Amino acid sequence: MTRHSYAGRAAIVGIGATEFSKDSGRSELQLALEACAAACADAGVDPSKVDGLSTFTMETNPESEIMRGLGIDELTHFSRIHFGGGAPCATVQLAAMAVATGVADYVLCYRAFNERSGRRFGSGVQDRPAGATAEEAQFAWTSPHGLLTPASWVAMFATRMMHEYGVTSEDFGRVAVADRKHAATNPAAHFYQQPITLEDHQQSRWIVEPLHLLDCCQETDGGQAILVTSIERARDLAQPPVVIEAAAQGMADDQHMMRSFFRDSIVGLPEMGTCARQIWETSGLTPADVKTAVLYDHFTPFVLAQLEEFGFCGPGEAKDFVADGGIELGGRLPVNTHGGQLGEAYLHGMNGIAEGVRQVRRTSVNQVDGADHVLVTGGTGVPTSALMVGRDH
Amino acid sequence: MSPDPSEALLAELRALVGTRGPVQSARHPITVTAIADWCDAIGDTNPLYFDEEAAAKSRHGGIVAPPATLDIWDRPGLPAQARFRPADKPAAGDPRSKALRLLEDAGFVGVVAVNSELEIVRYLRPGDLLQNTQILEDVSAEKQTALGTGHFVTTRQRYETVDGEHVGDLLFRILKFKPGTGVSAAKDTGDKRPPPDPTPSLRPRPGINRDNQALYDGYRAHELRLPRCNGCGRLFFPPSPRCSACGGFDIGYVVSSGRGSLYSHVTVHHPQVPGFRYPLVVGLVELEEGVRFVADLVGVTPAQATVGLPVELEWLDSHPAQVEGATDSRGSISLPQFRSATPRRREDTLAAAAVSEGERLPLWTLPVSPTHIVAGAVATRDFQDVHHDRDLAQQKGSKDIFLNINTSLGYLQRYVTDFTGPEAVVTALRVRLGAPAYPYLPLTFAGSIQSVDPATGRVVVGVQASNELGPHLTGTVELELPQ
Repeated sequence: MTRHSYAGRAAIVGIGATEFSKDSGRSELQLALEACAAACADAGVDPSKVDGLSTFTMETNPESEIMRGLGIDELTHFSRIHFGGGAPCATVQLAAMAVATGVADYVLCYRAFNERSGRRFGSGVQDRPAGATAEEAQFAWTSPHGLLTPASWVAMFATRMMHEYGVTSEDFGRVAVADRKHAATNPAAHFYQQPITLEDHQQSRWIVEPLHLLDCCQETDGGQAILVTSIERARDLAQPPVVIEAAAQGMADDQHMMRSFFRDSIVGLPEMGTCARQIWETSGLTPADVKTAVLYDHFTPFVLAQLEEFGFCGPGEAKDFVADGGIELGGRLPVNTHGGQLGEAYLHGMNGIAEGVRQVRRTSVNQVDGADHVLVTGGTGVPTSALMVGRDH
Repeated sequence: MSPDPSEALLAELRALVGTRGPVQSARHPITVTAIADWCDAIGDTNPLYFDEEAAAKSRHGGIVAPPATLDIWDRPGLPAQARFRPADKPAAGDPRSKALRLLEDAGFVGVVAVNSELEIVRYLRPGDLLQNTQILEDVSAEKQTALGTGHFVTTRQRYETVDGEHVGDLLFRILKFKPGTGVSAAKDTGDKRPPPDPTPSLRPRPGINRDNQALYDGYRAHELRLPRCNGCGRLFFPPSPRCSACGGFDIGYVVSSGRGSLYSHVTVHHPQVPGFRYPLVVGLVELEEGVRFVADLVGVTPAQATVGLPVELEWLDSHPAQVEGATDSRGSISLPQFRSATPRRREDTLAAAAVSEGERLPLWTLPVSPTHIVAGAVATRDFQDVHHDRDLAQQKGSKDIFLNINTSLGYLQRYVTDFTGPEAVVTALRVRLGAPAYPYLPLTFAGSIQSVDPATGRVVVGVQASNELGPHLTGTVELELPQ
């Protein structure tokens, strides 16, 4: 058994976000500063007290500019996590390790971008110059053959999943329907009051078969920040502490960036399995203890695979798990009660962490009873991360 | 009030309906050499068409002509083409030729075959001297088609030996149309933007470095070189400078056979970027050597892409305009692609009891080139300019030369009899023609068993051959298999 020693010794004390839009009308740096300031305000912590920053390598806003904008005098910890959407929960893990070890007192985790009005990740790597670093060269196995976008990469896994497990497009569609149902009652969601039916999903145009448009998450302008401190400091702040019960990163055998096509099996997410093992061992919890989860949903098929990797159901059983509203409010395990990235906003999963915090605080617009422990996951198909947050005892 | 010229034309055409042409006789008997040329053009290696010994032991007792050749032997040949006809030789007097001349004079200069139904009474043999009589069965009113406004002309020809032995019949329907008057039947995809330029050199280029150089050197040599540890022999992909099994840095390669099967696949619809044609089918191929490789598929429609489909490697550089597959600082490279694996010709003959309704034939993708088209046209003794002269084909409203129907039927016969085995007896080939088979558009044959009668051995195979423009031919092949 592995138990991470920082587990239970750090807490999320503030969450802050901008509005989620298709065109923010302001700079990415401003979005980041607004989100960071909001998280500090939520916690009742003066931004100048922040001494640690944690973000994504893809983030365009450097720590130095955040520091300047927030009026921070001194930073003792600043570090970044690689691999795009796989990073969100790992930024919080890094923050928890920093505050638990005394490296920093208050660490802000942040992510902000004009991902819809500016550079859109969904359009893929088509404009990427043919760089030949070890990382850039990885695109050579797919780009000259027309697999250029995240949707095209994930679709390859989805086809195999359908072949091996008998999963159907409708099964993928049930994830979208659940997300949009939850978004429909969330005023912060882009798709507020816009639920969809399975028929809508089936009728939506192909992006990359077997993925329809409604299998793919939206693109968003916005920012989200999460403030982390030690459990002791947390108990003196404005909000009830949301304890970091476990956090994990994961890569697994023959790992590639959303293109791990060369493994023995491609129907699972072994890197998420690596996270799941650490989450359960560190938290001491079991799937039965979790009443709601925020599962990364840039594309619907990998939500099914995550249910299996975390043991909410067995391999190949997720299609049955999501049937009959299984992941909707009132179902077996309500998933993405904020609407997910398909319904609320695509912020590389950082908004999902905020929803996990709200569930534990009992302030979600789609509150689940007994949400004492909430699982949150990072990007799927990539080197990834996961987080278990819970109530302070 | 003068009569509508189109009505006058139609009246003239209709007057020909029901008329018979003079007996059209072959100038020479069928020869083994002509049969062999046909087999070479079509790539049909059924030994009953050229191997005396094998043919003697067969149910035919000797060499026979392929059944799809029924209507090629008594063709008048090149001298009958308008441009080559001697001045003193009258134009052909058969009713179809008369009808076509009337239509050409009225501006309907485009021509495509629409239906062809060959019924085989007996297989032809070297030495047979054939003749046919033609009856004009119908000329349609003017119709608006995707190609243009035109008339359908239907004829039936009875084939006999000069001794009067009935050997088969042909029902044939062609469309004569006015080029440039077509209405596009393009489907509304909801995306009004024009498709991007598909020139392959516009594709994203691979980043070539010291770790993967060997792979791209292989692309230049048309070899798919899979990294192999020179120390422990482990094969792996993608490349890495170090063998994770034995730790060695001495990495060599083996050349892949290029054969494998689809482990997974996708069809890309959006976004559409230069260098590709959409929808784009991309496969994750499990190679025979045990590693996987991603490449786009050629001649495989989204519906035909299925897990397990046998595929084989080809290289994207066959078109003169497609020399550059991708380029790095050292010049152009070719790119690997996969097509459905060429099915092997069956050497024994399936019994009727061995096939079942619904059973699918393996896909076969034919890479159509100008040589295929011209060789096929000549071997089937079809000298219409649209099958060998690009300039004239374009003048007649065609984008390029295209396969003539007898060549398409030849490929169809080969496709089905390669599956059933050499002694299957073809009794009919019935097809509807659709999209033209132009050069450089791979043509993929698909088929399934429609019906089987074990009592008689009669089998009907449903077939379709398609390229990216759509179905080229759709129809049935009727056969008799050993019971």
